[in-house]
Amino acid sequence: MENIQVGDFNFQMDLSKPLYEQVLQQIRHAIARSDVPLGTKLPSVRELAQQLKINPNTVMRAYQELDRDHLTETRRGQGTFITSDLDTVKQVKMALASEAVLVFVSSMKKLGIDRPTAESLLKEVAWHE
Amino acid sequence: MSNALEIKYLSKSYGPKIALDDLYVSFPEGQITGLLGPNGAGKSTLLKVIVGLVKPQAGNILVFGQPPHWKFNAEIAYLPDRAKWYKVHTIERAINYALTILPGFDLPRALEMIKTMDLDLDSRVSALSKGQQASLYVILCLARKVKLVLLDEPFTGIDLLSRERIIQSLIDSMLDQPQTIIISTHEIHETESLFDHVVFLNRGQLVLEGNVEALRQEKGCIESIYRGLFR
Repeated sequence: MENIQVGDFNFQMDLSKPLYEQVLQQIRHAIARSDVPLGTKLPSVRELAQQLKINPNTVMRAYQELDRDHLTETRRGQGTFITSDLDTVKQVKMALASEAVLVFVSSMKKLGIDRPTAESLLKEVAWHE
Repeated sequence: MSNALEIKYLSKSYGPKIALDDLYVSFPEGQITGLLGPNGAGKSTLLKVIVGLVKPQAGNILVFGQPPHWKFNAEIAYLPDRAKWYKVHTIERAINYALTILPGFDLPRALEMIKTMDLDLDSRVSALSKGQQASLYVILCLARKVKLVLLDEPFTGIDLLSRERIIQSLIDSMLDQPQTIIISTHEIHETESLFDHVVFLNRGQLVLEGNVEALRQEKGCIESIYRGLFR
């Protein structure tokens, strides 16, 4: 997959999955990982649609969802900005972490690894590399 | 959501060759729909019926609630699959002529698109490359204030950069004026990210239709769905 840089954001689009979800998730992750400073302006709908070569409706839908979650704030005539509220970012970070844990648990289960074993593996793993 | 086009039990054959076979399908208003299918599926015939160039033998079709009529063609921009323009015209002459004959033609917008597409106003149509000609024809369709745009294989046989410029103009167009756009194409990989909706035809019949994002969720990319349907 091709990596496309738009402003402060990096995108990788996979045509086999809904594009709206990918735009949404990749911006969410960028905010949660602090890849982009709080208060940063998002690319305009036109710019992002042009760079990713996708339907502008797809971009608008993702932006509306970010607004609804208060991760971004659309100011009339100025554009859409990432929230400056640290608590909101923290909430999103925790939500994404919980999702990642569920993925982890599901792949452990598929391997037939029980909870105590998984927990001990977690304790042994090196966090700092 | 309402439909721009309602097609019911439409049939058309050319002698023994069946082009449309009891076709029943609709196209959503204000969206961009990909009209897909192998050669001979009936895509071009369907677009010709919409503009009244071909009379069906059975069935009916409503375009914004009305049967096709030349009077309503003022609201439709149609790019035929083998489009031609006066060879001796320069691009400047072509768009000035378009202004006099094409209803709703938007000259400032056409000039802007010519700039974006990197075309030269003084070039003669006969001297343009295939990609430049295709770009000009797309401009003549998209630079119009109309409700419906029909593009029959606008990307066939043109180079990558011209194709990307056309895609760029389509994205701009979608943002600047809400329209219903239908594009028939074989370049699925390059264009599927533009579509809201897709309609798959085969042998004059509907095979599959749906919202593109829902189809992606359910079955994967449009190109692989196409392979699965027609292989």
